[in-house]
Amino acid sequence: MAEVEETLKRIQSQNGVQGIIIVNTEGIPIKTTLDNASTVQYAGLIHQLVMKARSTVRDIDPQNDLTFLRVRSKKNEIMIAPDKDYFLIVIQNPSD
Amino acid sequence: MKKSSLVFNSSSRAMNTSVAGHQVSQSSRHKWNFAGSQTRRNSILVGGSNRKRNILDRNANQAPRKPVRVLDNDGNDVTPLPLYHAEPGDMPSKPGRFLDEIFSSSESDQLKSTSSFNMRSFGSFLGSSLPSSLSTTASMTKGTEDSVPKLDIPIIPPPPCGQRKRDNVKQHVTEEMLDDVVDVCLTETDTISLFDLPPLIFMSEDADDTKAIKERNLQYAELCKNRTGNDKYVERSMQTFSGAPKEKQIQTDKIVMVDEGSTIGSLLEMETCSLNAESNPELIMLTESFQHSLLVMERSIVANLFQPKLAAYRQLPIIKDPDSTVKPETEEKSEEGEESSSSPTLERLWAFSCELTRGWNITCMVWNKENPDLLAVAYGDCDSTNQKPSLICCWSLKNPTWPERVFHCHSCVTSLDFSANNPSQLAVGMYDGTIAIYTVQSRNNIHCIANSSECSKRHLKPVWQVNWSKQEITLSGEDRVEALVAVSADGRITKWLLCSNGLECIDLMKLKKTKNSKKKAVESKKKTEHMGSALTPGLCMDFHPTDSSVYLVGTWEGLIQKCSVANCHNVLETYQNHFCPVNSIEWSPFSPDVFLSCSSDWTIQLWKQECLTPVLSFTSAQRAVYAVRWSPNWSTIFAAINGLQVEIWDLNLSILHPTIVHQAAPGVTVTSVLFSRGTDCVLVGDSEGQVTVYQLKNLSVGQGKQVDSLEDIIGSAVSRYL
Repeated sequence: MAEVEETLKRIQSQNGVQGIIIVNTEGIPIKTTLDNASTVQYAGLIHQLVMKARSTVRDIDPQNDLTFLRVRSKKNEIMIAPDKDYFLIVIQNPSD
Repeated sequence: MKKSSLVFNSSSRAMNTSVAGHQVSQSSRHKWNFAGSQTRRNSILVGGSNRKRNILDRNANQAPRKPVRVLDNDGNDVTPLPLYHAEPGDMPSKPGRFLDEIFSSSESDQLKSTSSFNMRSFGSFLGSSLPSSLSTTASMTKGTEDSVPKLDIPIIPPPPCGQRKRDNVKQHVTEEMLDDVVDVCLTETDTISLFDLPPLIFMSEDADDTKAIKERNLQYAELCKNRTGNDKYVERSMQTFSGAPKEKQIQTDKIVMVDEGSTIGSLLEMETCSLNAESNPELIMLTESFQHSLLVMERSIVANLFQPKLAAYRQLPIIKDPDSTVKPETEEKSEEGEESSSSPTLERLWAFSCELTRGWNITCMVWNKENPDLLAVAYGDCDSTNQKPSLICCWSLKNPTWPERVFHCHSCVTSLDFSANNPSQLAVGMYDGTIAIYTVQSRNNIHCIANSSECSKRHLKPVWQVNWSKQEITLSGEDRVEALVAVSADGRITKWLLCSNGLECIDLMKLKKTKNSKKKAVESKKKTEHMGSALTPGLCMDFHPTDSSVYLVGTWEGLIQKCSVANCHNVLETYQNHFCPVNSIEWSPFSPDVFLSCSSDWTIQLWKQECLTPVLSFTSAQRAVYAVRWSPNWSTIFAAINGLQVEIWDLNLSILHPTIVHQAAPGVTVTSVLFSRGTDCVLVGDSEGQVTVYQLKNLSVGQGKQVDSLEDIIGSAVSRYL
């Protein structure tokens, strides 16, 4: 547990990382470093996106599954590690 | 008496009289709302009776018009009297009375035949008609009893006066009439409503949609009215085909039912439940997959940050981030810098460093044999007075900010080597003479899988180098057995084997002291007497790249001895030139006969195997050279460190001066150097715990065959001697 906490701290302290959100299967954020409103917004929107991405991957090949999703935008990059129990979301601005 | 006959009167509505050729007497017509129903009732009743008796018999008995006569032996006419006569108007009927008791109305009209028998004879009495009045019921009853004692059903009895009528009727019935075709017409009565109960939906007058509902009701009533005769409504009958059913049997797994009970606690428990919800995130965070996700995430983040550097390392084109907000000033500066450096130089890419390793002295660096991205670095201070614990970190190129594995050792680590057969095994040689084998595979399990501390023949002095070397070819021709060979300061070269108890060692060679050849004879005596003190520390060793039974050892005395694994007493060759300890020795990866050695006597020597004197000698700074490494990519390039600077020598360009000299930062000593295969980068470890990755820039390396160029140089050098 301490190691996990340490890793999260390290990730948070990396250059340009704006926030980390951990969401459970129901879409409820269980750990976050952003403010409440942003967290809820990210959690809801990303949940839908991941579902869509996952179904896309599986439609193309039913034996395949989504393991990682990166959304690069003008201002930042959202990285999502989906799993059946949780979503791990990190928002980073790499040019900082 | 009126002539009476079976009267088939038409109903007041739609029906046609069906009896042709018979007297039909009109009857008074009354409204007969209920009579019709009575009729039907009667018909049912009478019909029921018919089932009991033969229809024909019945008809025979009933119809007075039938010319059937039953005569007994005496000739008396004992034709059974008809059960019923339909009298116009004044025949009371028992059933009528019966039914009248049921239905309150007394109005009825004469009849209606709804006979359904299509017989030649007249239809039956089933279409019985009902007399209207009730008055003659009693008389009828009497008659009934006489005529039809057998019947149980309250059939309308013929009135007593009906006998005469019957006679009359009989007279009229002739034989011809038998053959007459009697048309019996079946018609349908109108729908008779027996009971009308208006909808009992109680609507409160106050309800909002009462009006709407009432309107809809009215609309619907009108719709029903308009339905008849409306072209819009068409009645049609349809038939659906029912397919032949087919039985098919399937089997399913039994549905497992599990009883589960749960209790809903009180509010107190609800509060604690909310706390439990928080512990769930911990559970999630402890799972293996979450940790893996974290790992991937961290690497992705770091990859974002280090992307240009890693791309340069891997010799990929560096794509500029179109969205980056780098200021134009810095771009100008970098452009200027590029213009000026057209000479060979080391360009710093990044450094592996973290909080954990800051300030440690790096002693050894080694690449993994299978995964070229994995680097093992040993940190420690080799101080003979203080046995300080040291660190081994395994770094991955994918994350230069934090090591993948961290091992703590009790003593200063002096040497590392990854195994080739088991790529996850890392051999560690330590300052206190311990040799250990670590496994880097899993994060959580035990790391040290073998330790030489229990071995009786272990080294008691520092182990300066460990090497995995593939030795014998097994009989089956599989992978060659790998042996761990260590060189120690106690003068022994030992071969270690991993067995079930731990590590076991065999002495391969003992490094004997040899001072001058003149004193050899004296020394040899001493050797036999004092084996322990007659050994000279070995500082470095290297196995021949192709012939793994041959290896070179550099000793503290400055000798380089070529030994064979097979021969543990005698050396094959001794190369003597250095007069200070030989710090590092390495065979050339391209040319099998050539090796380099460096020593604390400020020199680097290039040797050829057959020649006992060095072919080339390099000196640049007046400082002890601690390490020398050939480049695995180019045959004429090697790197050397001498404490304050890193030198890259390119023999193509110059054999007198190093091509690139890179000064370390002030106060920092450079302690270790390592080339990386496949890229033009070199790693430099220093005393601050940083492993810096430099890229060799602007080295004009020839495209020609590597071996040839080195040979050419050596050849030309040799020829100078001759």
